[in-house]
Amino acid sequence: MKLKIKLKLFVHPSLKYKQMKITYLLIIAFFTFGVAQAQDCERIVKDCEELLKSSDNGKDFISDGQVYTAFLDREKAEFKTIFYGGATYRLAASAGSRENFVIFTIKDQEGNILYSNRNYRNSPYWDFKVDNTIPVIITTELDLDLKVTGCVVMLIGFNN
Amino acid sequence: MKRFKFQLLALPVIGCLSLYSCEDENPIEDDTIDKEVFDPNSALNTIFDGKIFSIPSPVQTAYLIKNLDLSFDASLGNDVKNVGEYVTEYQQSLNLGVYGADLGYSALYDQKNITLQYLSVVQNLTNQLGLDAAFSSEFLENFEMNSENEQEMIQLMSEAFKQADNFLKHANRKQTSALILTGGWIESINFACQLNAKNPSDKIKRRIGEQKQTIGSIIDILREYNSENQNDTIIKQLEELKLSFDKVMITYEFVAPDTDQENKLTNLRHKSEVIIEDSVINEIENKIKTIRSSIIKV
Repeated sequence: MKLKIKLKLFVHPSLKYKQMKITYLLIIAFFTFGVAQAQDCERIVKDCEELLKSSDNGKDFISDGQVYTAFLDREKAEFKTIFYGGATYRLAASAGSRENFVIFTIKDQEGNILYSNRNYRNSPYWDFKVDNTIPVIITTELDLDLKVTGCVVMLIGFNN
Repeated sequence: MKRFKFQLLALPVIGCLSLYSCEDENPIEDDTIDKEVFDPNSALNTIFDGKIFSIPSPVQTAYLIKNLDLSFDASLGNDVKNVGEYVTEYQQSLNLGVYGADLGYSALYDQKNITLQYLSVVQNLTNQLGLDAAFSSEFLENFEMNSENEQEMIQLMSEAFKQADNFLKHANRKQTSALILTGGWIESINFACQLNAKNPSDKIKRRIGEQKQTIGSIIDILREYNSENQNDTIIKQLEELKLSFDKVMITYEFVAPDTDQENKLTNLRHKSEVIIEDSVINEIENKIKTIRSSIIKV
């Protein structure tokens, strides 16, 4: 509603200065929000990288070379990947300063739930030992009791 | 007017600082956005990756090959002399993926000289693609310092490719990212096909067949990020390849996983079989060879 009122003022010829100011403020607001969002995501990537370190056998997990990022607002991000047989995978997820912001769920292609960190206090990482190759669908979402919107980062590491 | 300009310049700085300084003080409040500002139709508020794609790392197939005790075959990789011929971003991106897979393969087999040659061409291409930050001089020093330690080299290489992927996605150069992933995937499947042709192995055949589950993602990612229809030819080739993969049968039987909460570990215990005839393997091998030739040609 506020935005509509501002737009009416925007076209008034006697308010040229205000018009300029509002335009600049809007641009700056979007710019500032965009920069902050990018910085936020970058910081979260760094946090998430830490979660791929030190497995039980003392070897860090090897990244699959990709960074999975989504800006979520009360929605879910979903992607398909493959876990190859004979490897152990680590999924790590982060959405900010707290470790338990993200809920991730893994399903097989038939829709059977293989794992959800929701059952384990939103654990920020979990390992999966895979005997036979399996295509999986990974869904990530924010725990809306803790955070409603923001950048979510997921990393996948493996050990052979 | 000067004051107004100063205010305009100061605002984004103050805005950024205030947003930054609030971090961690009260995570729950700070991580929400004022509902008045929020507009669900704003481009800023949509998932900026739209679809999220995942392509398995080519290093994983190199590990499988090494675990089968197959000897290193230097002729499998792309010739390092070709690198100077790749002048367009399209060629450079695909061949960065190809050389990245070659680098991983030679590093795993502890082929120091060959590995350093591949490292040099990877550095050359990343410089041209503006990815110097990921493949920095620090990375190169670390890599060379660990050239006796295959595990560390693989770790460093995978980290560098991850940083490059992150940079490209943030810079909205997702087509470049997609082409690098595609080049790496093609090269790793070519390794598997060529080695299987020389020494047929059920494990390699199975790994080739399992790519039926990845080729769809490769085609999707190339379609999604297809600036000026540059990917049209390779998409057609991959669609043709997919017809062969469609002949691979994969069975699946769900078995409930077993979770060890203390160690944060879940064992996936399902059963699956990959059924692939030799004639189909040959088809895939030939088509992969053709696609790879068109990528590396000079």
